[in-house]
Amino acid sequence: MYRRAKWFAAAVFISIITAYGSVAALAQRSGPVQWQNDLTPIAPSDWNYDFAAHLLERAGFGGTPEEIEALARLTPSEAVRRLVYFQNIENNLPPFDHSGVHDPGLEPFPESRPAVTKLAKEKGEALGIKVKPGGDRPIQPIVNKFFYWLRASVLETQRVAYWWANRMLQTRHPLEEKMTLFWHGHFAVNEAKIRDYRKTLGQLELFQKKGTGNFHDLLVAVAQDPAMLSFLDAGVNVKGAPNENFAREIMELFTMGVGNYSEKDVREAARAFTGWNYVDLQFVVHKEQHDEDPKTFLGNTGNFDGVDVIDIILKQPVTARFIAGKIYRFFVRQEMTPEIQEKLGAVLRNNGYQIAPLLETIFLSRDFYSPASVGTQIKSPVQLALSTFKKLGLTEVPGVPDFNVATGVLGQRLFSPPTVAGWPEGRSWMTPGLLLERGNFIRDVLFPDINFIPPDRANPSADIRIVADKIRAGLDISTATMPDRGSEGGLAEANMLADRDEDFNTRYGSFRGWQMAIERVKAIPRNTANIDLTRMVGNAGLKNTTEIVDYFIRRFMRVPPVEEKRKELIAFLNKQLGTSDAEVAKTFMEDPLRLFLHLLMSEPEFQLS
Amino acid sequence: MKTTRRELLKAGLYGIGIGASGLLPVPPLFARAAQALGSQTSGDGRILVVLELSGGNDGLNTVVPYGDDAYYRHRPKIGLRPARVRKIDEHFGFNSGMAGFERLYKEGKLAIVHGCGYAKPSFSHFTSMAYWHTAAPNRGDEYGWVGRLADAMAPQAPTNFLVNIDARQSLAVRSKLHTPLVFDDPNKFSREGFYEERDVFAGVADTGTVDNPSRRFLLDIARSAKSASALVKEAWTNYKSPVDYGITGGLDLPKVAALINAGMPTRLYYVSYRNNAFDTHVFQGDLHQRLLTYTSDAVSAFMTDVERIGRSNDVVVMMFSEFGRRVPENSNLGTDHGAANLMFVAGKKVKGGHHGKIPSLTQLDEGDNLVYTTDFRRVYATMISGWLGFKGTPAILNGEFEAFDMFS
Repeated sequence: MYRRAKWFAAAVFISIITAYGSVAALAQRSGPVQWQNDLTPIAPSDWNYDFAAHLLERAGFGGTPEEIEALARLTPSEAVRRLVYFQNIENNLPPFDHSGVHDPGLEPFPESRPAVTKLAKEKGEALGIKVKPGGDRPIQPIVNKFFYWLRASVLETQRVAYWWANRMLQTRHPLEEKMTLFWHGHFAVNEAKIRDYRKTLGQLELFQKKGTGNFHDLLVAVAQDPAMLSFLDAGVNVKGAPNENFAREIMELFTMGVGNYSEKDVREAARAFTGWNYVDLQFVVHKEQHDEDPKTFLGNTGNFDGVDVIDIILKQPVTARFIAGKIYRFFVRQEMTPEIQEKLGAVLRNNGYQIAPLLETIFLSRDFYSPASVGTQIKSPVQLALSTFKKLGLTEVPGVPDFNVATGVLGQRLFSPPTVAGWPEGRSWMTPGLLLERGNFIRDVLFPDINFIPPDRANPSADIRIVADKIRAGLDISTATMPDRGSEGGLAEANMLADRDEDFNTRYGSFRGWQMAIERVKAIPRNTANIDLTRMVGNAGLKNTTEIVDYFIRRFMRVPPVEEKRKELIAFLNKQLGTSDAEVAKTFMEDPLRLFLHLLMSEPEFQLS
Repeated sequence: MKTTRRELLKAGLYGIGIGASGLLPVPPLFARAAQALGSQTSGDGRILVVLELSGGNDGLNTVVPYGDDAYYRHRPKIGLRPARVRKIDEHFGFNSGMAGFERLYKEGKLAIVHGCGYAKPSFSHFTSMAYWHTAAPNRGDEYGWVGRLADAMAPQAPTNFLVNIDARQSLAVRSKLHTPLVFDDPNKFSREGFYEERDVFAGVADTGTVDNPSRRFLLDIARSAKSASALVKEAWTNYKSPVDYGITGGLDLPKVAALINAGMPTRLYYVSYRNNAFDTHVFQGDLHQRLLTYTSDAVSAFMTDVERIGRSNDVVVMMFSEFGRRVPENSNLGTDHGAANLMFVAGKKVKGGHHGKIPSLTQLDEGDNLVYTTDFRRVYATMISGWLGFKGTPAILNGEFEAFDMFS
């Protein structure tokens, strides 16, 4: 009610935080309503702290007041260019620190456990391990190694996610990481199918390197990257038996959207991609599997290969509109007019599919600073976590609570998008249960659970735990791995006999695989968040509880809570401190401040960016 | 301080004003919720419960074609002998663990739909499940089919129309307009707060007029969370059933029964047998039988329970898996990922018996899988038009799918 109607009045306050004010003064200002759908660049005279905060929120993961002020001191054009053309800003971030869990014997990794044991029986070895010439379970070490790699890749992927999250937090190129997050959702692949953290990491690094460059180059690179080739079944797309998976997705999800091509185009494109494959981490074209006959694709006929198909796709005007529209919805807001989409598509096309000029146009536009755009985005779980850490002034992602578990519970576990279509953004992030969970996540950051068990060290399943206990208790493998008896009857005699005759034991392999994986994969550091709210209050020179509440609202919220709630929070803090005087409370204010911050961050408005 | 909070939790007093209404016979919260819904949706209040059997249930060892020699040729070791199945006709019998399904079938309350699948099947749990969730094989969709159904049936998106009981929201219920009520443990569907914080959490601030639509949406969600968590807790607290749901506690079906019992306005429920349980690659015999026993116990108990509650004419349960399993057994006395599979529909109003063409056990695809005879979306269409009486099936499923004549 206040925000827009009183925009001009609010402008009087600029960045003054008053001790006797109200939430109206705390509201983040946006431009006037008329700016909506206007792509005209804002003027230097429009620029202020709130606009800079909004820019950093969307083009990155939010900022501390110091970071926002630094940006606010520039002109809008300088500020946007600093974010978009970040290449010259020094950014000393460590590369991913591999645990060293992979070895060449694992390649090519068979598709399943039965495929491994079949291979072992035929060749006398698999995964770099020979079948034992005699003794019990001659194939067991191979089966162990099969499960070892599956577990190791899952655990190493969790470390990659931590590494990436720390980059998001520490980088001086926030848009580089934000764009990487966008592409991760756009070219969605899932470690569960790829089963090789090196490939998911490789794709991530590709996004970091090319994410704001040329879309054509990026698309070709993604199409020839082992992560995507593996995820969309390139290996089975061969001459005579084309697999349409990749050909379909490249058009439907990656470039044009449904309705802009026919089923025949899918089949013809699939033929063009035949023979594209990978060996370990290397893209290869198996020429003998490539279909050399002419194809007719989107009205063009020729002996096309995959790159030709990509070139033809990028010539379609709809492609630029589709990509520009998706970028807009990710950075600005979910709803867009066809006119805006047309204009932004033209920006992308006229710049030869260079992404940076499109981003520059968007971030400088009046539309981006209009009331329809400011404070209207629902934070994704990753954005929620990272912007919270950032605004708390943390310099590393806490180990407690576990970042992957927390974001997973909230619906966005990195490298685990729900489908090839990625994460649906916007309101889909939120459910009643999840809103409560978001508040619970904040509590776990501010008040770490002292009973925390690291999920990368703990037993993954009850089954494995039971086997582990029985093996340690000295039982033989057959007995230890026998499934527990159910309610009806026991284990059939035939099964017990079969178990004694086996060449290998899968359940034991699963247990050993896990054991070897936690031996070799480095542990994720489990430091809790290094939070000092008392110091934050001191540094800001806040004198009383009203100033504290207002400062925290300004620092952490893009949209303030209602006035009634603000007063309630001031009263809460007064009660918990026994005083409203910050000086009096400075030796004992930390716990009450954290309770207050938990309450503030549990407000629905905290979810807005 | 800690003890006090725990005591409060135990007594159910901590949190959002539950104490006051908890003991009333007709909870006022429900009365309001039901009233609010009445004016916003059409239909006669029929309820669809979807039960997902994750991991790929082995349909051939569930409804065993004991009359077909080919079955025993494919499965010399794990094939269930005629003496061990619960025969329902000359050709088929249930797995011996499924006393509950046998009873439902013989009472004419269980439909078996044969050969359900889709062209070019995926053998990945993840991919195939996404196809089933979105009803969009070989493409996928941003929203789930149950979510789209909710959007089409009730575009005003009344609260708690769609409930998903799980640790996380299923893609199947992802909706454009609705806020699916997603929770797992009814005892834990609440804000985790400290004693000192409870007054602030319990308070409901007057927000006045809100211009920002996203903020309005969040405030709605927050109100729904506040009221739904109270409703769910209350429903769960008030629900006392004499029905034995079996050893798992009935999957999540007792929670569904509790909400139905409480008069929740929900029309669509989504629950699952979680964690890929049915992925029986090795020594599947006893394990699979056990899984089926749990499922069969839970579903038949649920039917008994809704009868007890007096809503048996209004409830059906539809069951599916992301795929069936390979027809020939593997070398580990288990089965690998397959293709076409059975679906089940249980309910008092169901026309029990066999539906759909029975797939051949001799003419398999090149990967030794059953060739599908029923597009699974036909069964979805049957639920949408046949059961829920909603006429907009093609828009929800992105195509025309002939419904089965499955309800009396």
